[in-house]
Amino acid sequence: MSYQQAVWAWNQHLRAGGVTPWREWLRTRPEGGGTDDPHVPAAWVPPGAAQLEFVRLAALLGAHDPRFVRLADLATGRSGPGRGLAQQPLWWPPDVPGRRFGAPPVDPSQVPAEELVRVGVGALVELLLAVPEPPPRVRRRSRTARWRSGYVVEGAPVTRSALRRSLAEQGYAEGGRRPRVLLAVEPFDDLLAQVWSARVQRGAAVRWHGFVRRWAGRAALPPAADLPALARSWADRVGVDRVHVLVGADSSFDPAAAVRPAGRREEGVAGPEPEVRDLSPAAVDVLRRVNAVLSVRVAPERQRSVLPGLVDDLARVAPPGPGLTVPPPFQDWARSRAERIADELRSGDYPVHGSLEGILPRVAGLRTHPSRQDALAVVLAACLRQVR
Amino acid sequence: MRDRSRRVLVHVGTPKTGTSFVQDVLWLNRESLARQGILYPADRFDEHFLAALDLLELPWGGLERQAVGAWDRLAARIRDWSGTAIVSHEILATATRQQVRRALDSFGDAEVHVVLSARDLVRQIPAEWQENVKHRRTLGYRQFLDKVTDPGRNGELASWFWGVQEVPDILDRWGSRLPADQVHLITVPKPGAPRRLLWERFAAVLGLDAAALAPETTRANTSLGVPETALVRRINERVNNGVLRNEDYRLFVRELLVHRSLSLRTGSARLLLPPDVRSWAVRLSESWIEELHRRGYHVEGSLEELRPDPDGRAPFTDPDRPEERDVSDAAVHAVVTLLEELANVSGSLRAELEATYVELERSRSPWFRAKRRLRLEAGRRPAVGRALAAYRRVRRSSSRSA
Repeated sequence: MSYQQAVWAWNQHLRAGGVTPWREWLRTRPEGGGTDDPHVPAAWVPPGAAQLEFVRLAALLGAHDPRFVRLADLATGRSGPGRGLAQQPLWWPPDVPGRRFGAPPVDPSQVPAEELVRVGVGALVELLLAVPEPPPRVRRRSRTARWRSGYVVEGAPVTRSALRRSLAEQGYAEGGRRPRVLLAVEPFDDLLAQVWSARVQRGAAVRWHGFVRRWAGRAALPPAADLPALARSWADRVGVDRVHVLVGADSSFDPAAAVRPAGRREEGVAGPEPEVRDLSPAAVDVLRRVNAVLSVRVAPERQRSVLPGLVDDLARVAPPGPGLTVPPPFQDWARSRAERIADELRSGDYPVHGSLEGILPRVAGLRTHPSRQDALAVVLAACLRQVR
Repeated sequence: MRDRSRRVLVHVGTPKTGTSFVQDVLWLNRESLARQGILYPADRFDEHFLAALDLLELPWGGLERQAVGAWDRLAARIRDWSGTAIVSHEILATATRQQVRRALDSFGDAEVHVVLSARDLVRQIPAEWQENVKHRRTLGYRQFLDKVTDPGRNGELASWFWGVQEVPDILDRWGSRLPADQVHLITVPKPGAPRRLLWERFAAVLGLDAAALAPETTRANTSLGVPETALVRRINERVNNGVLRNEDYRLFVRELLVHRSLSLRTGSARLLLPPDVRSWAVRLSESWIEELHRRGYHVEGSLEELRPDPDGRAPFTDPDRPEERDVSDAAVHAVVTLLEELANVSGSLRAELEATYVELERSRSPWFRAKRRLRLEAGRRPAVGRALAAYRRVRRSSSRSA
């Protein structure tokens, strides 16, 4: 059996839901059976080790689904998008004839997770684009308080989004002429990670490390993370006493207490759909990789139409879990920036709920970049969900 | 069944082998070529680059947005053409087998020829590092060499390098489904050969009239010396942290500093391989030459030209430890270039502003124009200035009393 025939036969094994690793399959494949000398179609291009190993891992999770074979063919019929390692042939006992040059062969089980994620993202993009363009989502707008004073939530985007939804569900209306302002403050590293997540959910493709590096090199902060500027801007409009600084999710302060004077309008109202979902770092990482591919595949409008459904799926397949902290080269910067923010908020005399110490970055015990293994689990689950 | 009256010549690389030059000739002469039945399908000079980004699904500093659908548009124009069509971009060399299949299938029933231009590895390796530096990288030369000489080829850099430089593998990926006489290898002449020779080789393979298309282009991918490269690498270290956006980097560093200024300094030490890497590259080149002989492709030039020259012509100057005096000399040159540019830009901006003022003046009332005229005159003539100051004092006191 030639290399090409062996790869073809293993591919067929995987398409049928087989999960035997390559080297074990080579060792144990039936001698003299129908698979020993398979006919390989002339136009068939052998996939690389990463593509086939991705299919094997997907089979471990979802081979029972009748549409699994579609995912298998998508993953093996195209190469991983963007930059990465060259497509590597599979390990083969003797030297592969005609293969003195090119990327070195690899045992598929040794392919780095990064390459498997790349293959998965390529397949995921195909699945996303195969679905007809959905009608534009009509966002349920939150009710606004036009004549009475309502409230406004600013600050950490994910926390802000959840808070808005929670208050709306309790019947409070946003906006108004002199709203009460709730400024959601989180530890600075989490605050940055939330801004990163929000940007990726809107279509950005920037890596976490690059995002932090970019802002660490600037004097300014991302607008949603520039809490003193937000507080000042609102204080100028509504007065210092109406700007409530809410530190951390564990604050004993009930946010509704600040907006209660505005009064409830209606009980049992569904809140607005969250603008920013609470995604795990690995899910955000997968999403930003998908964004990178979509940016070269489709127009921005199409990308915008695809993202909400994918974000919903990613939120389902990957629970948020512990967040990210900033990479080591930027930890001193993060601490000094957080201290400055705390000082500025303190000197602004705003009502503060919780301790402003809570804005200091947490650092210890947290990942400094999304886990590639987690990203692989996310992209596998997202692909299997999309193909169904 | 292939239609032999329709041919597509796909030039897939390699970088630093005169590709920019050839693409510019094709771009500048596309209309006259079309009259001769040769299509270079492009409405902008970087159209084939965008098509390649699309084919390879490769983000490229924001440019990828302009690449959406570019390969399919290019292929559609080629399918609609009844004669010969030429596609050329050096990053196509990195295409995987699946991407190659998509590309070749997209040309329909045309007879496809793959063209690769190649230069000896001893000149290509330093040129690739320099290209890296010109694309914002900050990796040192020795680090770069360690990565590309690692047999595991781990990491994106080594993958990219061998993807665009490993001649036998590129031709295998692009040409394994084509007859050997439809795979063309153009070798870059040795230093000192007539400048037109490479162009004549390209013209022969692409079916162009070398004399009629006497190249007038000045666009070429110029190289830098050792101190200049060291300088650009240091600039990268300072501007990469959010200081310059990609489009500004392209304009001010790559275009202005590198291409229009530092590359003109030809007196500085040239970038070479250190002796250990050179020996390794010479051995590798021998295996390439042997393999390419065996495959029997059409060679325009000679495979002997892929064999590096005997060493010892110039000493190796380490760009990781350059002569600081030479780097600062290059830096002064760079500062002068930037000052000249600043003066030119601010001069033209001033002129544009003046012109805008004139337009604005025309649209305003006679009284406004008279006041503005008075203000301008006050700046030039002291007497008018004093009169205007007196008028303002009187006006302020009258408005206070009111």
